[in-house]
Amino acid sequence: MKANIKWLDDPEVFRINQLPAHSDHPFYKDYREWQNHSSSFKQSLNGAWQFHFSKDPQSRPIDFYKRSFDSSSFDTIPVPSEIELNGYAQNQYTNILYPWESKIYRKPAYTLGRGIKDGDFSQGKDNTVGSYLKHFDLNPALAGHDIHIQFEGVERAMYVYLNGHFIGYAEDSFTPSEFDLTPYIQAKDNILAVEVFKHSTASWLEDQDMFRFSGIFRSVDLLALPRTHLMDLDIKPTVVNDYHDGVFNAKLHFMGKTSGNVHVLIEDIDGKTLLNKKLPLKSTVEIENETFANVHLWDNHDPYLYQLIIEVHDQDGKLVELIPYQFGFRKIEITKDHVVLLNGKRLIINGVNRHEWDAKRGRSITLADMKQDIATFKHNNINAVRTCHYPNQIPWYYLCDQNGIYMMAENNLESHGTWQKLGQVEATSNVPGSIPEWREVVVDRARSNYETFKNHTAILFWSLGNESYAGSNIAAMNKLYKDHDSSRLTHYEGVFHAPEFKKEISDLESCMYLPPKEAEEYLQNPKKPLVECEYMHDMGNSDGGMGSYIKLIDKYPQYMGGFIWDFIDQALLVHDPVSGQDVLRYGGDFDDRHSDYEFSGDGLMFADRTPKPAMQEVRYYYGLHK
Amino acid sequence: MAYTNNLHVVYGEASLGVNGQDFAYLFSYERGGLESLKIKDKEWLYRTPTPTFWRATTDNDRGSGFNQKAAQWLGADMFTKCVGIRVQVDDHPFDELPVAPINNQFSNQEFAHEVKVAFDYETLTTPATKVKIIYNINDAGHMTITMHYFGKKGLPPLPVIGMRFIMPTKAKSFDYTGLSGETYPDRMAGAERGTFHIDGLPVTKYLVPQENGMHMQTNELVITRNSTQNNADKDGDFSLKITQTKQPFNFSLLPYTAEELENATHIEELPLARRSVLVIAGAVRGVGGIDSWGSDVEEQYHIDPEQDHEFSFTLN
Repeated sequence: MKANIKWLDDPEVFRINQLPAHSDHPFYKDYREWQNHSSSFKQSLNGAWQFHFSKDPQSRPIDFYKRSFDSSSFDTIPVPSEIELNGYAQNQYTNILYPWESKIYRKPAYTLGRGIKDGDFSQGKDNTVGSYLKHFDLNPALAGHDIHIQFEGVERAMYVYLNGHFIGYAEDSFTPSEFDLTPYIQAKDNILAVEVFKHSTASWLEDQDMFRFSGIFRSVDLLALPRTHLMDLDIKPTVVNDYHDGVFNAKLHFMGKTSGNVHVLIEDIDGKTLLNKKLPLKSTVEIENETFANVHLWDNHDPYLYQLIIEVHDQDGKLVELIPYQFGFRKIEITKDHVVLLNGKRLIINGVNRHEWDAKRGRSITLADMKQDIATFKHNNINAVRTCHYPNQIPWYYLCDQNGIYMMAENNLESHGTWQKLGQVEATSNVPGSIPEWREVVVDRARSNYETFKNHTAILFWSLGNESYAGSNIAAMNKLYKDHDSSRLTHYEGVFHAPEFKKEISDLESCMYLPPKEAEEYLQNPKKPLVECEYMHDMGNSDGGMGSYIKLIDKYPQYMGGFIWDFIDQALLVHDPVSGQDVLRYGGDFDDRHSDYEFSGDGLMFADRTPKPAMQEVRYYYGLHK
Repeated sequence: MAYTNNLHVVYGEASLGVNGQDFAYLFSYERGGLESLKIKDKEWLYRTPTPTFWRATTDNDRGSGFNQKAAQWLGADMFTKCVGIRVQVDDHPFDELPVAPINNQFSNQEFAHEVKVAFDYETLTTPATKVKIIYNINDAGHMTITMHYFGKKGLPPLPVIGMRFIMPTKAKSFDYTGLSGETYPDRMAGAERGTFHIDGLPVTKYLVPQENGMHMQTNELVITRNSTQNNADKDGDFSLKITQTKQPFNFSLLPYTAEELENATHIEELPLARRSVLVIAGAVRGVGGIDSWGSDVEEQYHIDPEQDHEFSFTLN
């Protein structure tokens, strides 16, 4: 297949040759590798890559992916990182308005009775291009195996080539994109070429209130598949018998050779074996209704995790793959009185919205950032996080499992610029809406989010996205979760503006910034449990009057609490030549227009990860319903 | 017989001096306020203290348009109009200021137990209202200051009611007994009561400089400096103590005035920190937090401009 740049203009083209999304489980060769957290099946491609920046698609080096291409004039760029923060393209912060506001007239394809506008993005004067090249040899341990490549996050549309051959195309900046490199991979002297466009039709769906960056901003890994490989793990732990016992179901999907056995073990924290099952390998192996009496339940106070171990053996009994995964038993439900229960007890959300942010690295955050955020959560009685407004890096979900942080796992979707106009609802060119050509792309985002993270105990809610209005396409996203997952609730706030969809969309009544008095009015006759998916807007010196919300928790069991907007300021640390200091800068400080200026500074933390004075108040109020 | 008349009163030509063993106070009729507050030979005032009504606009204030509604108070904060001065020494109130020729009767041997000087100010608002600041000095040289704000119908909503003292140099540290952290009436439930030592005069690094550093419900504040502007002075630590009277007080101590903070869009644009700006606030408006684009601070945390407000505290 030949790559086509016009895919950038077509909302119905969003993944070409991309492998289906699957669970995020790690896999190792043996126990020693697991112990060392280092899989010989995995080769990181992070580090210095060759790079060329083009200000628009017309001026990009079209043939750069060919082996014959002379790349000696290319620069180098660290992967992962943001192209803008390497000085190639202008930083810009905008909230609702699209970054091309007043520069380019655009309306989404298939709105207003129009079709695709040819060249809308593929010839967009604002569509900067990063041409990335990586020369690599396979680690000896990977040689001879089928090889996949996994990009954990690339903004916003990318074409992948290996050794001169087109491999695939992907959008959805915030979920992993995986491709099969096997047909073209060599042991040595491979040339991987990735062409990253800042804009495509996906830009309409990724209008999050944030700095607008592009590039390969999360890790890139090569994955070698053992002769038999667990492609997808789908575990379903449930709680029964009045919250006493656990039932474990699982589906294991294998690829490769299916001769041999799979050995499934479950151990508790003391190493006591609860399940020990040996089953013949098949493409799908099922564990059905294994019951454990008196299971130790998982929650914020006691994030108890059981250890699942899957050993894959060949017909000679030799271990070919080892998959460890931790999970907990917990049950979330809504009573007929519209109260949300976790393990039979009322669930109270002491939450924050969290953008991935690092003052030096933008959204290319580090594990150290994540660990620090978890420590801040624990210290300040924050028990829940909404991954606003996109899926986060994979390690964050594991940290939330291990630390008992309740997750509202949100899709990568925000299109408020298509329906919020000067503060008014004007949805004539809204996407995804109910437009057939915009359906699959958003359902795919829901599917990727679900399939990747479905095994994480910490996720209690799937969130369909943020501020995207509502129509049958968002209802279809809701349905995808409902069809696959009876163990979690769905959440979407935007249906507030299209109440005719309330029956099909969201198990929760979700509001943002609803003043306490109005929240109370709803709670006097609730139809669904109420959550404030965003509240206490923490811009600058703020967070006053929090007590009025917390009182509602005592008064109304249908009030679940909420997620403070938000956890950390988005500001960039730059050197100021006038004062000679390193200082924090916000929107508009890079001559970027349109900008929403300091509106990105709404965190409980300053951008340098020091707490704002308001944090002691949060710690107190969130401590009242720990 | 024990000599108990501790206050040495100097009836000057344009000011009143009230002096004692370790202190010297100078009330200026020209400047309409306390021009000098000297304790153990160290000057604590850069300019005369004034009423203060403005706080640097917070993001929530801006979003809700509060700064526009309250804008008159910015002028009233920057420009002070003194309209009356009253002096009372012991039981004797002067009908007119004791300057020449009234002061011709006095000598350098005038002593008293108590001196009271009151300044009346008129706010540059429409309508205007009055503010009275009374300095009451007792035998031991303790100065109790009371500010009374007279409410009036039709005044715009108020950012703050307080007194501003600008000190000649930047303080080295301060110690206070009150609430932990930065607190406001609608954001102090999480604070712990205790005694806190703060080095330097930290400005909370909000992206856009704004009102910050308020400390609610304080019993006592000790400000320590280690530099003066006096060319003949040898540097060394020295302190000023502020204590509550009947009620605790609220304060902020920053290197900047509200106007300096207001004028900066980034913290690095603030001037070099060289003074100490003490605001003792009798009424503090909440910071709010429902949103930053329209919702006001909750009603109970507003300052009612139509009501009288009074607060007091003791210096030295």
